[in-house]
Amino acid sequence: MKFCCYWLMTLALSASAIAAAGDPKAPSAQKPASTANALPWDARAVEHLLNRAGFGATPAEIDAALGLGREAFLVQLFAGLANDAPAFEIDEPDRPSPAERRALSEEERKKLYQRLRREDTAQLLEYSGWWFDAMAQSHHPLRERMVLFWHGFFTSSAKEVKNGEAMIRQNQLFRQHALGSYADLLHAIVRDPAMLVYLNNTKNTRAAPNENLARELMELFSLGEGHYSEDDVKEAARALTGFQARDAQFVFNRRQHDAGKKTVLGVSGELDADQLVDILLAQDACPRWVAGKLLQHFEGRVPPKERVESYAKFLRANNYRVDAFLKKLFDDPVFYSAEVVGQRIVGPIEFMVANCRRLGVNPPGNVLAAGASLLGQQVFGPPNVKGWDGGRAWITTSTFLQRGNLVGMLLGVTRVEDIFKEDPAMLADDENAADGAMSDEPMGESEPMEPVPKTPPTPGKQKAKNNDLGGGRGVNAGLRMMESSRWRRELDLRERCRACKATSDQAIVDRLASDLLAVELSPEARVALVEYVRGERTSLGIEEGQLLEKKAYGEATLRELGHLILSLPEAQLN
Amino acid sequence: MNLDRRQLLYGAGALAGMSLISARAEGAVKLSASAVFASDVPRTLVLLQFSGGNDGLSMVVPFGDDGYNSARRATRVPEKDLLKLDDYRGFHPALTRLRALLDAGKLALVEGAGYPTPIRSHFKSYEVWHTADLRGRAAGEGWIGKLVKAAWPDNRDPNLVVHIGKNVPYSLYSLTHPAASFATPTGYKWAGDESERAALEKGGDVCEHGEKETEREPANNLEYLRKVLRDGQASSEAIRRAALRYRTRTEYDADELAQALRDVAALSVGQVGSRVFSVELSGFDTHSDQKNRHDALMRRLDVSLPTFLADIAGSEVGKNTLVMAFSEFGRRVKENGSGGTDHGVAGPMFVAGEAVKGGLYGKHPSLTKLDDGDLIHTTDFRSVYATLIQSWFGVDATRVLGAKYPLIPLLTA
Repeated sequence: MKFCCYWLMTLALSASAIAAAGDPKAPSAQKPASTANALPWDARAVEHLLNRAGFGATPAEIDAALGLGREAFLVQLFAGLANDAPAFEIDEPDRPSPAERRALSEEERKKLYQRLRREDTAQLLEYSGWWFDAMAQSHHPLRERMVLFWHGFFTSSAKEVKNGEAMIRQNQLFRQHALGSYADLLHAIVRDPAMLVYLNNTKNTRAAPNENLARELMELFSLGEGHYSEDDVKEAARALTGFQARDAQFVFNRRQHDAGKKTVLGVSGELDADQLVDILLAQDACPRWVAGKLLQHFEGRVPPKERVESYAKFLRANNYRVDAFLKKLFDDPVFYSAEVVGQRIVGPIEFMVANCRRLGVNPPGNVLAAGASLLGQQVFGPPNVKGWDGGRAWITTSTFLQRGNLVGMLLGVTRVEDIFKEDPAMLADDENAADGAMSDEPMGESEPMEPVPKTPPTPGKQKAKNNDLGGGRGVNAGLRMMESSRWRRELDLRERCRACKATSDQAIVDRLASDLLAVELSPEARVALVEYVRGERTSLGIEEGQLLEKKAYGEATLRELGHLILSLPEAQLN
Repeated sequence: MNLDRRQLLYGAGALAGMSLISARAEGAVKLSASAVFASDVPRTLVLLQFSGGNDGLSMVVPFGDDGYNSARRATRVPEKDLLKLDDYRGFHPALTRLRALLDAGKLALVEGAGYPTPIRSHFKSYEVWHTADLRGRAAGEGWIGKLVKAAWPDNRDPNLVVHIGKNVPYSLYSLTHPAASFATPTGYKWAGDESERAALEKGGDVCEHGEKETEREPANNLEYLRKVLRDGQASSEAIRRAALRYRTRTEYDADELAQALRDVAALSVGQVGSRVFSVELSGFDTHSDQKNRHDALMRRLDVSLPTFLADIAGSEVGKNTLVMAFSEFGRRVKENGSGGTDHGVAGPMFVAGEAVKGGLYGKHPSLTKLDDGDLIHTTDFRSVYATLIQSWFGVDATRVLGAKYPLIPLLTA
């Protein structure tokens, strides 16, 4: 209910904005700041802004933002907090010189490369944990949000690049330009070692051009399909020849560069990569493409055409500055409208990070990374050069169920064993009989059944232990890693409810739902949850209003309630 | 039937680790393909996608075309190794079991499949193949989504369309019948006890506008989420049950594709209600080092698909299952400078199964008469789709594809 009035207000605001747009003398046409000032600054607005510009909001953050006021908060949002985490220092591998390498035997060289590879992989893993920590600690949430955006926009995958150091350097590049100019970033990306390897440009030579980078540069990184011809791709590939990478460093190989005359999108000359990038930046399609992607990311919907057009013009006029773009967006009443607020399906990374923040638990970054990966978003491992589709594509029958399981693990109420064990009754001949057997013998009491090996096992080889089978192996390993990682779960949901005197079943449900969800609970879900709490409470013989007094039972019930809330459809939206 | 099952049970008990199950669960059975009878089994289709753009010229190699030998060096499959079909073309040497399927009349190869004015963008071409529409995703749902709507509009079974793998392909995209999807049946569930499950079910099951489940497309993301949650809960139990109970008749490799196909067999035999399955073999985007990478993929194909077909062979499930293999585009005729090939256009498709009239269909495109360095397609891929829609599922193909395409007589009946 509390949001209804807000939405009405927003609607009224947009209506007046539309009316104003029609009248050239209206003051708001010249002074967009006045619209922004008229935007409400309440808990809902703060939460929405932090959901989209960062990774969720804690009650304390919302209070702090309200105290600061809108303008000061936005300044802080773009600048970040003073206590930012120290930068990640890359440990450069100590590579032997060519002379030293020659002195090694075949065997020694092999060992050396194995060691270098191992250290490199370990460092990338460490970095990914560091990155998740940065997202969760939220000292500069908007920057972290943009780093993630660029990672999905200028994709590269460690699987193909096979060089962790280059992947880290690319991420640091995104960090450096996170809120800067897209134009600068586009210039930088054509000399980014990870990108050059990922899109085969190291093999793009004068004698044998490789079109991969040229094509994706136009199709995905700047213009979009339909705004260039096949000939443009071929010519652009020539301009990119000689841009190579060696040991995670950029090198320009002059001998492999094609210095001849080329024509790209109607511009002719002895084009090199920078000139090519400038040609792309000058196309009308370019700001449209970038504005469309940014709007889609932050608003969580396919943006209306006119909206893209107006933001594209703005982006061009502001030299592709992303900070200017986002300031405009965060001052735009449409961004706070009913079509946008609470309508967006959250991706796996933000699902993991934001739920930790809302719950107030701090698992190591790598636990979150493993969880996000299980849900379909592995950092440094996008599915292809187009990145993650996002939106409804995040949600399949299995990823939805798995989201609930991972939250259960964060809360400490779900064990890996609970996910993998099967009741023997599953094997019963007849479904009804099986259901009966299940209720006779609750899951908790029966011995976990070992799942059936996927292939008839060969003697001696099988010993199907730990369910560690076939295609389940990856999932299982990820979950076990999450479970075995040691961290202290400082979680006191009882205290959270007690602090606001939420003691009745209903008040408890309302309190947790409001803390943990970005959207309002449906009445049906609320009834189901209250019923659940009542059922648990009565089965434990506890009077209503007394649940918070019971240390173990009370906390366990609240955590289970949190698990349920975060497994609901509502928990997938913000 | 009981006798059969008892024997199966004894067989199952022989597996170590199974004694626990048979001892505890009275009457437990393991089902294999031979235990399913005719009346139960509907016709199903398995889509097998070669993701990334398969170099068809390295799979069905036109060694008899001079164009092949002059265009291909680093990626050339040596003629002496080929499994020759005639004096023009040969299968990749790794495809021995696939070749046997062809010889046995269980595999119909359609050469030169593509579409007019081809697009070399990876993603746009992917969309064209998955929507069967040159507009790509601008045309709306995937072609299977449209098929489902035309063929089984009232079938609300959450397992009607199943994808086994990571990302659900666009072809399955449907607003009314979203596919069930999982990487593996193991662990495909929401872990909670009975009262928790009941609460989640109630909490996620909401009547909007007084109608529970209708043809209506979800009006917003929340409605979509509720539908997927409902489907997920219903689907996960049926699927795990079928996977647990399944007993293979052939030995599947540990390969991911083989395991996915093993699950397809389990779900078909377990009769979970599926009509379309989708699985993937990915890694075909071979811009560099193609020879090694493509060879490995051909080996994976050959250890996987024939095992699956042999597992269900001779059973009612076998008679009612077709596999259609395709890729979203072919590759350029001429190699690039990196020992690989860039995105091209046309390529071979095949349909395999017991209902297939095996042999070669279509026409291999010329390697000398090219369009800007690319093969010119000889068969519209939508003819293959139309054949399956019309001749296999008995649905008017124009209702799904929006236009009429000539059918290919590659089925026995």
